[in-house]
Amino acid sequence: MHTLISQFWQLTFSGAVQGLIYVLISLGYTMVYGVLRMINFANSEIFMVGTFATIVMSRDILGHQPNSANLHGFTLLYSMFFCLLASMLASGLTAVVVELVAYRRLRSRGTNRLAPLISAIGISIVLSESVSLLTAGRAVIAPELLHKSSLFTVLGANIRVDQLLVFIVAPIMFFSLQRFVNHTRLGKGIRAVSMNEETAKLMGVNLNRVISITFLIGGLMTGAAAFFFETVYEATKFNIGFNIGIAAFTAAVLGGIGNIRGAFVGGLALGLLETYASAVLGSQWKSITVFVVLVVVLLFRPNGLFGEAIQQTRV
Amino acid sequence: MMSKISSLKNFNLRDKGAAFWAGLNLPQRAIFAVAMIFLAGALPFAGDHSFTNFLNTPISNFADVLVYPVGMFVLMSLGLNIVVGKSGMLDLGYVAFFAIGAYSMAIFGKYTHLNTWEILPIGIGFAMLAGVLLGIPTLRLRGDYLAIVTMGFGEIVRITALNTQKIGGPNGMANVPNPPSIHTPVGQLDFNIMTPNSFYWFVLVLILLTIWMIRRLSVRRPGRAWEAIRQDEDAAELMGVPTLRYKIWSFVLGAGVGGAAGVVYASKTLYVSPEAFTFNISVLILSCIVFGGIGNIWGVVLGGVFLAYLPERIRFISNARQLVFGLTLIVIMNFRPDGILPRKKREKILKSKSEAEVK
Amino acid sequence: MNKKTKIGVALAAVAALVSGGAVATSAHAVTYKYYIAYQGPLTGDNKQTGLDEIAGVKYALALYNKAHPTAQVGLKQVDDQGSGPGASVVAPGTAKDKTILAIVGPAFSGASVASFPYYKAAGLPLISPSATRVTLTDPASPDFGGPVFHRLPSKDDKQGPALAKFAIQGVKTPVVYVVNDQSSYGTGLDGYVQSALTTLGAKIAGKDSVDGTNTTLDFSATISKIKNGAANVVIYSGYYAQAAGFVKQLRNSGYTGIFASGDGTYDPGFIDGAGDAAEGARLTASSAVFQDAGKAISADFKKVTGNAPGTYATEDFDAANIILAGIAKGNTTRAKLLAYINTGSWTGLMGNKIKFDKNGDTAGAGFINGFLVTGGTIISKGQIG
Repeated sequence: MHTLISQFWQLTFSGAVQGLIYVLISLGYTMVYGVLRMINFANSEIFMVGTFATIVMSRDILGHQPNSANLHGFTLLYSMFFCLLASMLASGLTAVVVELVAYRRLRSRGTNRLAPLISAIGISIVLSESVSLLTAGRAVIAPELLHKSSLFTVLGANIRVDQLLVFIVAPIMFFSLQRFVNHTRLGKGIRAVSMNEETAKLMGVNLNRVISITFLIGGLMTGAAAFFFETVYEATKFNIGFNIGIAAFTAAVLGGIGNIRGAFVGGLALGLLETYASAVLGSQWKSITVFVVLVVVLLFRPNGLFGEAIQQTRV
Repeated sequence: MMSKISSLKNFNLRDKGAAFWAGLNLPQRAIFAVAMIFLAGALPFAGDHSFTNFLNTPISNFADVLVYPVGMFVLMSLGLNIVVGKSGMLDLGYVAFFAIGAYSMAIFGKYTHLNTWEILPIGIGFAMLAGVLLGIPTLRLRGDYLAIVTMGFGEIVRITALNTQKIGGPNGMANVPNPPSIHTPVGQLDFNIMTPNSFYWFVLVLILLTIWMIRRLSVRRPGRAWEAIRQDEDAAELMGVPTLRYKIWSFVLGAGVGGAAGVVYASKTLYVSPEAFTFNISVLILSCIVFGGIGNIWGVVLGGVFLAYLPERIRFISNARQLVFGLTLIVIMNFRPDGILPRKKREKILKSKSEAEVK
Repeated sequence: MNKKTKIGVALAAVAALVSGGAVATSAHAVTYKYYIAYQGPLTGDNKQTGLDEIAGVKYALALYNKAHPTAQVGLKQVDDQGSGPGASVVAPGTAKDKTILAIVGPAFSGASVASFPYYKAAGLPLISPSATRVTLTDPASPDFGGPVFHRLPSKDDKQGPALAKFAIQGVKTPVVYVVNDQSSYGTGLDGYVQSALTTLGAKIAGKDSVDGTNTTLDFSATISKIKNGAANVVIYSGYYAQAAGFVKQLRNSGYTGIFASGDGTYDPGFIDGAGDAAEGARLTASSAVFQDAGKAISADFKKVTGNAPGTYATEDFDAANIILAGIAKGNTTRAKLLAYINTGSWTGLMGNKIKFDKNGDTAGAGFINGFLVTGGTIISKGQIG
């Protein structure tokens, strides 16, 4: 208990940073769920692909060495930019491919809801196993783009530059996405499909295109999360997506799956909850705490914090 | 070639099987069933004969593979099928019940004088109790919300086992006792590490009992209630079906089957540890169901057999076998989305009937 | 592409896959009279350990087969995914396969315990390069693997006290924070570290268990607790990949005290992963990394196996050589080979004497070396316990 009080702001800050990464990943779940009413099981591997893309860009293409790159000024800026771009594009494209391979054919045939789930699990296995074969199952180290120096101290919390970057840029990305969905033509198309697929189709919305774009956007956001993750933690592995994917999915459900604002609240709440629980009960109990809180929340709000009642979903 | 493919595509083994079954009279059916059971029972010997030894698994022993993973996966798939296939609830934490059964066996087997046969009902009981405790608060949730809560439950059970030093923590528990021998009219049936066949036959009996139970229930009130819930829960509720109660029933029955599998598993492998009860197992069991044909018992059995057996059979490709497994899931799901042996579609029957009337 | 063509393509793909499998089987057709097996994780989350280890076995075997062209020995790969359940699936078949004379492995302790009943019944000798759980060689424990089980690494109860002693060496008032990774290895070692710390009179500021079985990299809560406890020594019990991430974040948080860890972290990969943050880390291990045997042999290792020598490569190489020495002497049944392993003595790669005691531990040895990471390399500080 003592730690929670004396280190409260430190914990809150790092919890929030972790939470913001969850927010971006959970968008990959929640957006897809919004239009398809299906869990995008492969999103954890879409994240994993992003982390590797970041490393390939900074290490192999830009030529930065692990643990030695101490970049400044313009080099730092363009390196970060290209890594972010690489990660987002790789994840975005992977997401589009996942939709084509795992969902499209099944969707057009109007099958049961579990078939796409299993084919998405199949893709998950294929992606992570392919990467595992390529990397011999080893952890891969990312070059240090940002030196992890402490910038300043607020209320006893050390604010590090990499964490600050996440703290500022992730919300910007989130709110631009929200603007995009609410105010652009394409975004309206996505919302239309998520409200009623049939009607949207009748109104002339190109369903396949909208769904592809939804996957793309979810992938782009997940890719951005992968970039931030690499900036902060600087390592990845073929199975890196598994835990963080479950956490982000939990966050999406906590907030109300299908709801973009819910993803933000759910992700942030989950990051904080995990950190506080680790401090009070010990790190080994954090996932249990999370699930218990989730069950309690769902008992009182069966559709999550922000979810509107979803029409009955059949298996 | 093309016509061959399309006939292959339209070939429906389930309908063929159903037609065949319908064409038999009672004694014929009995003979057929007994013959099939006999064939299934003789399966462990297939590895030893030259004309069937293509079934043999490299590295792992065929008769043992038939118990775990094959037999266990079939049993668990049948149990989960009651929940997912029959009443349409998505359960992603089924492994929890398997774990509860296995740990019951390990704890009671090591610290009391009870033997496996006496622990079996205890393990089933604990699993069912867990099913009730989890079911009552959560089964009001719909669809994917239920999925994540059950997934959480599975993880809670595993993490608790991992961090409870009294039951071995991450080290697990070794020296779980084997079941005592059974005396049968034809001789004594021993259960130890050298006799995988006895375990296989016992699992086969459990599988047959489960199938019998599901078939009995399916045509009676619970089965109809589950079907109604799966089709449209609100309508079922309006028509006076006590949906929550039947949902809990299906959940608890599924849990009991999982618990039974766990008891036998611990007693066969002599060792339990939290790493046997990961989320992956839940996902795998779910895959077996969907892969084989959700809701259809024979499809589920086939799915369990195939997905459990495949990774063992292709051990010779070592590293890449998981990759092949993933590819198989994608390909089969894309080309047979309702599984290898899909269940009868009510809509389809109605449609073909009305078409016939029009003609 | 119309629908039918698509299906045709898919069928062709499946056919190709199946025939590919057939080719793989026929490639396997080079048969040997005798085999040794390697058992460890070749798929799954821990496969990097298994791939590193099997390379050591392959190298020993390649050297042997070159020297004995007429009596070559084959290698069978027994993939247990590093877990008990995985081992339960493969152990019965491996025990039944009479061409396998001995096993290098199992790599992990849980997998070892799960396999023991089958190998004991079959009298199949085992030499593990990396299973360190104490109870595996304790005749009073249900986990006991004798008489078939032997191991080369030192036990956790030898290493724990040495690690505790080495970690607080030279610290006036040690305030220690202990962290384990929830793995069987990590919690086991951690337990012995803690009891040794109490004996040594060091204050334990607190403890935490991070999730090491999966891939969580966020240790911020643990680090906050370390800072809150004002610890000046942190002892991490777990494997190197996670330890690297942990120490990095620990240093980034401004922690300036001592970081110490056991043989799971004693790997060049730790320094590659942690970079500057690894500087000054105190590590303990009973062996030396393969690279210490010399540049020429390390280069040859890489040439033959395609891998640079990795974790436990030394132990794997030694374990395989012990078995192969037995086979070369004509011990070509399991029983003879087991008797040979139980009574023989050998010289290991590093010139050390190897002999097994009656419980399967290396007799007389069990010394632990201390190492200090200095200037990006692991420097030996000599024996500490």
